[in-house]
Amino acid sequence: MKKKVMAVALAAATVVSMVGVTGVSAATEVAKNDLAYKGELEIMHYSTSEESEGNGGSDGFRTTLAAWQEAHPDITLNENVLANAEYKTQIATLAAADNLPDVFLLQGMNTRAWAEQGLVMDLTDTIKASPYYDKYDQDYFTPFKVGDKLYGYPVLTGGTCTVVIYDKAMWKEAGYDAFPSTWEDVEKASEYFQEQGIDTVAFGNGGKWQANSDFLSTLGNRYTGKDWFQGLIDNSGSKFTDEAFVKALTETQHLFTETKIFNEDFNSVTNEDAREYYISGDAAAFIGGNWDESYIAATLKDSDEEKYNNIGFAVLPQPADATEDPDSQNIGLGYAVAINPKVADDADKLAAAIDLAQELTGPAFSSYVAENYALSGLTKTDDVDLSKFDQVTQDFYNYSYVDTTKCEIYDSYINSAVWDVLNTDLQTMMNGDMTPEDVAANAQKAYEENYK
Amino acid sequence: MLTTIKPKTKTLILYLCLPVAMFIFTVFVPLVTALVYSFFEWKGGPVKTFNGLANYVQLIHDSTFWQSFGHNIYLVIACIIGQVGIAFLLVLLVNAKATKLKGMHRTFGFFPSTIAAVCIGLIWNMIYHNKYGLINWFLKAIGRADLCQVWLNNPKIVMLCVTIPLIWQYIGYYMVIILSAIASIDTEIFESAQIDGANGLQTAWYITLPLIKNTMLVCITLCVAGNMKAFDNIYVMTKGGPGTASMVMAMYGYQVSFNQSNMGYGSCISVAIFVLSLLVIGGSQALIKYLTREKEA
Repeated sequence: MKKKVMAVALAAATVVSMVGVTGVSAATEVAKNDLAYKGELEIMHYSTSEESEGNGGSDGFRTTLAAWQEAHPDITLNENVLANAEYKTQIATLAAADNLPDVFLLQGMNTRAWAEQGLVMDLTDTIKASPYYDKYDQDYFTPFKVGDKLYGYPVLTGGTCTVVIYDKAMWKEAGYDAFPSTWEDVEKASEYFQEQGIDTVAFGNGGKWQANSDFLSTLGNRYTGKDWFQGLIDNSGSKFTDEAFVKALTETQHLFTETKIFNEDFNSVTNEDAREYYISGDAAAFIGGNWDESYIAATLKDSDEEKYNNIGFAVLPQPADATEDPDSQNIGLGYAVAINPKVADDADKLAAAIDLAQELTGPAFSSYVAENYALSGLTKTDDVDLSKFDQVTQDFYNYSYVDTTKCEIYDSYINSAVWDVLNTDLQTMMNGDMTPEDVAANAQKAYEENYK
Repeated sequence: MLTTIKPKTKTLILYLCLPVAMFIFTVFVPLVTALVYSFFEWKGGPVKTFNGLANYVQLIHDSTFWQSFGHNIYLVIACIIGQVGIAFLLVLLVNAKATKLKGMHRTFGFFPSTIAAVCIGLIWNMIYHNKYGLINWFLKAIGRADLCQVWLNNPKIVMLCVTIPLIWQYIGYYMVIILSAIASIDTEIFESAQIDGANGLQTAWYITLPLIKNTMLVCITLCVAGNMKAFDNIYVMTKGGPGTASMVMAMYGYQVSFNQSNMGYGSCISVAIFVLSLLVIGGSQALIKYLTREKEA
């Protein structure tokens, strides 16, 4: 049976790739594997219809899921779709009750804790036997790996978590042809923008996680390099209290408390509010993640085409005393399709769940997001033909995958308790009410207590 | 005579068993299970390790929890003065003979308490907003732009800022309770007071307040209980921030349980909230009884 499924899958994959080569859209064509299972299959995710408006990853996920359902009419997909914030709370509650759905999205930072408790199925052999295995971008598996074991198929699109989005025209007026590459220059530019009564860079940390995901994760890498963070993941000697990381915290505090670069309400507004400052022209630039980029681009395209065409992308400027890679930006896949080990009680159901996971992350998804959004996921596609996209989309593709170097997204790893402690203290520190040393010490304490 | 309308014991039990079962299932069972879980190290998932009183020892040394408890006490005191106090004054105004359109005042006064807390939080977020908010706009309009600030990012005043919407929301609620209590007082008493030459303040202090003492006690108890479990408005407005400057106990319990996946310690915090709330409610009632008894003597 397994062989048969595999053969059909391989054949389907070949067909899909051939269709891809001939240029006919294979957008929603999932492999129609012969599945013996008939009945219900639960899936919980956060690609809501609102989220999918303009967001390539969500749109691709929903489209592929619908195609899979259509290809398997005997299986009833019971979808539980929640917005991301609610999803995180709900899935944590279900995990605590040992009542996870059959298929769900596992967040990188929960991998180790949930794997140790037997909440997620070890998918190492299944992933290696996947018909698409050769096309998987192996780097994306790292957050879902414990030792040599893999616990999920990385899902959605590989998106940056830190990008500077700036208005080329506004910066040109300020005397800059491109966004400055150092914070000193940004500070100089802020004097000009202040005179104009607008913010230089809009940022929102009201949700507490943004400073970590969209700022420190990249800025930290500029001081510590990649090995330090790998050392934290591997528990091999790196500490939050190490000098390089404390320097990164000190620079963060300096930028937010001693310069006039950012909007003064950065700690009380969310990224959703801050990006509106950029859209309305109240800020000359904005720092956020790929989800903010897709929103800004979609909004401006509809409302202000001139401003849309002036969108530029830049990496986080380099601090004067940082010594590591100045072109780095944190990019990755924060979630993976995981399977509840209880599904294994029914071999046919398990085969269906695996097939679903493979298709949601396979060529059907990847080609859809590549062709429609110039984005990429776990399964590599042939070189994306960028010529049919406008300049902004091409620029963002190049920013995300070509012109910059990758570093890790901190909160895709380790443990949610550690990041919750760090995020709360970061917010206080960015107000100037806590020292970087104390922030580092508290994070280290949480790390030692929760990530032994 | 009463026996003719008294239901049979069996009927009484039948009617009561459903709400009692619901109460046991939704209140009593979760409380007991939380108490049990509080003795375990439970980081989410099926694995729970018994760790005795370790969570409680941690709780005693947890400065964030005690800071949150302090914030709850702040809320309780501010809301007793703000919600019940202002409601009492407003009731006196509404009941005054000179007041026109009494029904309209009652309806509009009660209106905010019918709005969901999340909406109240969002409305006040806009009022406090640094760029587009009403307060900063007003300050600029009157030429005091120097007083403008990011209201919800100032740790010194953020508790006050999140308390104001809470007070605003519930004034009408207590107004209705106090109004109904005052309505039950015989009007002849007020008329006699008026003939004796008592002014409005004297009538309120020496007649109205003593006569509705028990209702006020209920209002204060409701106010204390409500504010010991405050969560939603503050969660929408600040998420307890900046840092932990507006953190309250329920939100801290939520954060530990769900953001940090530490269900064992989260349960311990829930038990502590329950015990501390009982102590504060009991304490406030005893204090009021003591104070009023002294006055009578």
